[in-house]
Amino acid sequence: MVEVRSHIRFLLNGDDITLSDVKPDETLLDYLRLRRSLRGSKEGCAEGDCGACTVLVGRLSGGGLVYESVNGCIRFLASLEGCHVVTVEHLNGQGDSLHPVQQAMVDFHGSQCGFCTPGFVMSLYSLWMRTPEPSDAAIEKALQGNLCRCTGYEAIIRAARAISSYGKSANDPLALERAAITARLSALRDGARVEIGSGKERLVIPADVDDLADILVTSPNATIVSGSTDVGLWVTKFMRDIAPAVFIGNLEGLRIISETDGVLSIGAGVSYTEAHAVLSRHVPALGALIDRIGGEQVRNMGTIGGNIANGSPIGDTPPPLIALGASVTLRKGGERRTLDLEDFFIAYGKQDRAPGEFVEAVHVPLPGAEVKFAAYKVTKRRDEDITSTLGAFRLELAHDGTVAAIRIAYGGMAATPKRARAVEAALLGKPWTEETVEAALAAYAEDFTPLTDMRASAEYRALAGRNLLLRFFAETTGFAGPLTISRYKAA
Amino acid sequence: MTLHLKMDDRDDRYRLDDMVQGLVGTPTDRPEGKLKVSGKASYAMDVLPDDVCHGVLVRATITHGKLRDLDTEAVRALPGIRTVITGKRMLRNPAQGMAGKAPVQGSDDIAYFGQPVALVVADTLEQARHGALALRLTLEAKGDAVVNPHDPDASVEMPKKEQVLIGDLDEAMKKAAFSVDQHYTTPGHSSAAMEPHASVAHWHGDSVTLRGSYQMLAYNKAELADALGISEKNVRILAPYVGGGFGAKLGISPEAVAAALASKELGVPVAVSMTRQQVFETTMRRSETNQRIRLAADENGLLTGIGHEALVSNLPGEDFSEPVTQATPFLYRGENREIVHKIARIHRTCAGSVRAPGEAVGLTVLEIAMDELAEKAGIDPVELRKKNIPDQDPTDQIPFSSHALAEALDEGARRFGWDKRNPKPRSTRDGEWFVGMGMASAVRVNMLIESKARVTLSADGRAMIETDMTDIGTGTYAILGQIAGEMLGLPMEDVETRLGDTEFPPASGSGGSFGAASNGTAVLLGCEEIRRQLCKKLNCEDADMTLKGGYAIVGNKRIALRDVLDGDTLVGEGHVQPGKAEKKVRQATYGSYFAEVGVNSVTGETRLRRMLGVFAAGRILNAKTARSQCLGGMTFGIGMALTEELIHDRRDGHMVNHDFAEYHLPVNADVPQIEVVLLEERDEWANPLQAKGIGELGICGAAGSIVNAIYNACGVRVRQLPATLDKVIDGLDEAT
Ligand code: FES
Ligand code: FES
Repeated sequence: MVEVRSHIRFLLNGDDITLSDVKPDETLLDYLRLRRSLRGSKEGCAEGDCGACTVLVGRLSGGGLVYESVNGCIRFLASLEGCHVVTVEHLNGQGDSLHPVQQAMVDFHGSQCGFCTPGFVMSLYSLWMRTPEPSDAAIEKALQGNLCRCTGYEAIIRAARAISSYGKSANDPLALERAAITARLSALRDGARVEIGSGKERLVIPADVDDLADILVTSPNATIVSGSTDVGLWVTKFMRDIAPAVFIGNLEGLRIISETDGVLSIGAGVSYTEAHAVLSRHVPALGALIDRIGGEQVRNMGTIGGNIANGSPIGDTPPPLIALGASVTLRKGGERRTLDLEDFFIAYGKQDRAPGEFVEAVHVPLPGAEVKFAAYKVTKRRDEDITSTLGAFRLELAHDGTVAAIRIAYGGMAATPKRARAVEAALLGKPWTEETVEAALAAYAEDFTPLTDMRASAEYRALAGRNLLLRFFAETTGFAGPLTISRYKAA
Repeated sequence: MTLHLKMDDRDDRYRLDDMVQGLVGTPTDRPEGKLKVSGKASYAMDVLPDDVCHGVLVRATITHGKLRDLDTEAVRALPGIRTVITGKRMLRNPAQGMAGKAPVQGSDDIAYFGQPVALVVADTLEQARHGALALRLTLEAKGDAVVNPHDPDASVEMPKKEQVLIGDLDEAMKKAAFSVDQHYTTPGHSSAAMEPHASVAHWHGDSVTLRGSYQMLAYNKAELADALGISEKNVRILAPYVGGGFGAKLGISPEAVAAALASKELGVPVAVSMTRQQVFETTMRRSETNQRIRLAADENGLLTGIGHEALVSNLPGEDFSEPVTQATPFLYRGENREIVHKIARIHRTCAGSVRAPGEAVGLTVLEIAMDELAEKAGIDPVELRKKNIPDQDPTDQIPFSSHALAEALDEGARRFGWDKRNPKPRSTRDGEWFVGMGMASAVRVNMLIESKARVTLSADGRAMIETDMTDIGTGTYAILGQIAGEMLGLPMEDVETRLGDTEFPPASGSGGSFGAASNGTAVLLGCEEIRRQLCKKLNCEDADMTLKGGYAIVGNKRIALRDVLDGDTLVGEGHVQPGKAEKKVRQATYGSYFAEVGVNSVTGETRLRRMLGVFAAGRILNAKTARSQCLGGMTFGIGMALTEELIHDRRDGHMVNHDFAEYHLPVNADVPQIEVVLLEERDEWANPLQAKGIGELGICGAAGSIVNAIYNACGVRVRQLPATLDKVIDGLDEAT
């Protein structure tokens, strides 16, 4: 039997916090602003879109302590069990002076109305501690999740480049206190399950993965909350009840990444950021795609498992994973089953997951050097945008230049992430030439009948979907001249 | 003592140039910057009294009709619920800018989907949210609400004073060597300031204090008083820091009145913050526009006629309508002119001011049409504009005050490398990308608005400015301090600026780009008054007195101000009013934009690669904040060109994309390197600072340069903004 306690424990700036009055849907931002009167963190949207609420969360990971930026507005208070929350109020310079990040923001005029500013400061703080001399690309990435309506961003970018000239991140209090905080967080780990409240206010934090499996057998209809980048919106935007909620973000057992025989297994609780670190090494195109999911805060919170489990037709990871031939392991109690990822998605909003079952891991066969792989996400806005269409392509050529194996999968083109089987069939065994590809385009109409919505028209999706294959062809053949698209009207 | 000035004529005394402190014009940091980066600047919801209750607005889910009943009893029974406010004082929508009186009130009549009809108040925010969710409304929909401006059933008004007819445009079009006659549309926009509208109301006896997020406090005070049916004397509004406005916070809005009503009833402070969706749906939108432009030119490209017709929309009973054609009467030459302005009365979220009402969308479209004319006439777009700069306002036949359009065009073309542009579309490729350049003119009318400020020079030689002016990110704290420091010879740190409190003298407020110049003038006048008193003490003429670094220098004497004051505190109030000057000359700010884009041949995506803006706005008071305003304005222009678009449901008019996930403000990656150049200029007709407004100029026409660049890149002419990937790809076939 696991031990059960009825309070959560975490650190907030310098303080030890023990709370037994926690509701499953209470957000960190509300807690900070309303219960703690820490009002430096702002609410601009309550949906994870603007970053005004950005705070840092430190957690133990593989023996170390990592700090990551997160959106306080969609992060649930209960998910902070065992973590260290750092808000803008914790940033201080020496004596009267400002913290290096803050001073740079002042000097480069990175703040106008100032409402977005604390959020930017926290994102930059996180960047500076990780990468004291960031490249412009790293700065851009770190700020993807922060909106500013006043500045046009340029001043903030210039501030970001200069932070290290104001101070060394190695001398920052968070760096100096690393050992002490690690010890304090380790002390909070007692291997107990947390259960608070009942009925519409019930929440559970399992002790470990086995405990999670047990809990779900007895509460098969519980809401599983992992990174809360989706579930957070169910609460703040759609006012849905999520109780009983089971928080799994702290389960180390779900955050394991391992490689056996060329297959990478990624635990369901692995965040996009953690997955990126590994995937970008093995499959650079996938790394680049993950960089365009949400903003940094969302990538620090959201998980690959969650992206799969919620079955959105426009989730960004399923199409490339399907193209790579990934499979998924589901667990219920002590039983496990593994199925092809493409078979997991049955229909719109319907996945092959039984009550009480949870996604435990996804397995990605790593493509060898002979494999050509690409994934293209098309959006209206450059970052922080929901996909209009996303195409992923995995190709193996035989020695004679014919297509030995091809897997193509799309998001945004059907009610689920879906393979383009007719197109694949039209390509398989044929020489990988412009003629073959041109001829295969007709098969798109068999595979997909996309819909029109705010993000793109049906015609656009059909057309751009096909054009992505042409792009893939051009890229894989080292096509030098400008790529010409022969027809822009959908068939 | 108050020094008054009515701006009836030019002011060529150049008072600031007599001064020697050297503050005005410099890139001075905003003094409140430290507070902002530390999260200590207190916005509307950041100071909550201990006993505060929270309110959550409940909104109608029909488009047009009646609220028959609300089941308040059931909600009152829920834990923590204190009251449910509804009734005849609730605001239908925010007041329009500078209304100074309440907008349409009453929760019984529903005029748009999402109209607030009740406020549920509870001990905690969570309880109030639950209560709001649980409140059952009995609504009675009137069938067939008109929600589209093109609906044949929409009643359309054509206010007489908005129409202009000079000469014979039809004839000019017939005779023209080159002409353009095209229709264009721009969608609705949202200001989308980062701080949501929020208010905390607290009564003491008969008086209410409201801490809110507002732009124009003197007007807001009158609006709130009127809405509550009390005297203005009993209203105080505080807004020391405002998290952006861009027009959305010009007038008092529903949450403020609801908070005040609830606080009055309960006798405790009540805080109400709108959710982001509520901000989108129940504050202000910029009207969508349908525009027709006609341009007639002779064989040399000289315009002989301009026609600009606009159809915009608003709710019944609202007197604001997007002044689309505002700059058309005077920007370019042409003897034959026709301006048509129509307003369709429809049931969508109230239309009001969003950054640069009028020129933001009207000039953008005119500048796309000018690009089309340049193409037809085979004249370089910069040349075409320069040729058509009139000698005087061609409609009102009055001279221009100062006019730097030609210089801005030349300077921009030179800096951008415009001569490298190939006028033939699709002539530059970069891998998958078509690359092209475009440009546009910038223009924005300039205004002066009545404003007051009090300057106090205390015995310790430090100055304090007090005015109910706001700083919505524009830099007011810095600029007013600079002006006072300059006039009184004090360093920045010896001047304290207090804003955002209606206990202080009433100012113009922030809006219409007039804040810095109007209120800055009031500060200047207040300082003049103090200088007069100092001269009296020193027994000298102003011309013989130099103030610098906290000292007065008269002849060969240098005396510390503290000693001059000798224990006295001097107070000077400044009061400026607009006068005949604005009728004698045409006052506007000008500029130019240059943009380079890439258009993806596979996906139709447009990526802005670089952009330049050159602006002239009279004397630049603070080089840093002015530049920031231009950058921010141009970024709005990027959004307008490429991504921003309010989408309404065809059936009930409700706003479909009422959040930041779907209403696409530019993100960092959408904004490339932007260069801003500010030209040296003085405008004697504007005010004694010779400064004009700059907060909005940067958006006026900006989107046009991007859309024109798309044409140059790939040959697709987008006339329905924004230029999203589906529209661009759609045209690529024809363009080959
Ligand atoms: S408040 Fe906008 S992301 Fe949290
Ligand atoms: S400074 Fe106003 S939103 Fe960024």
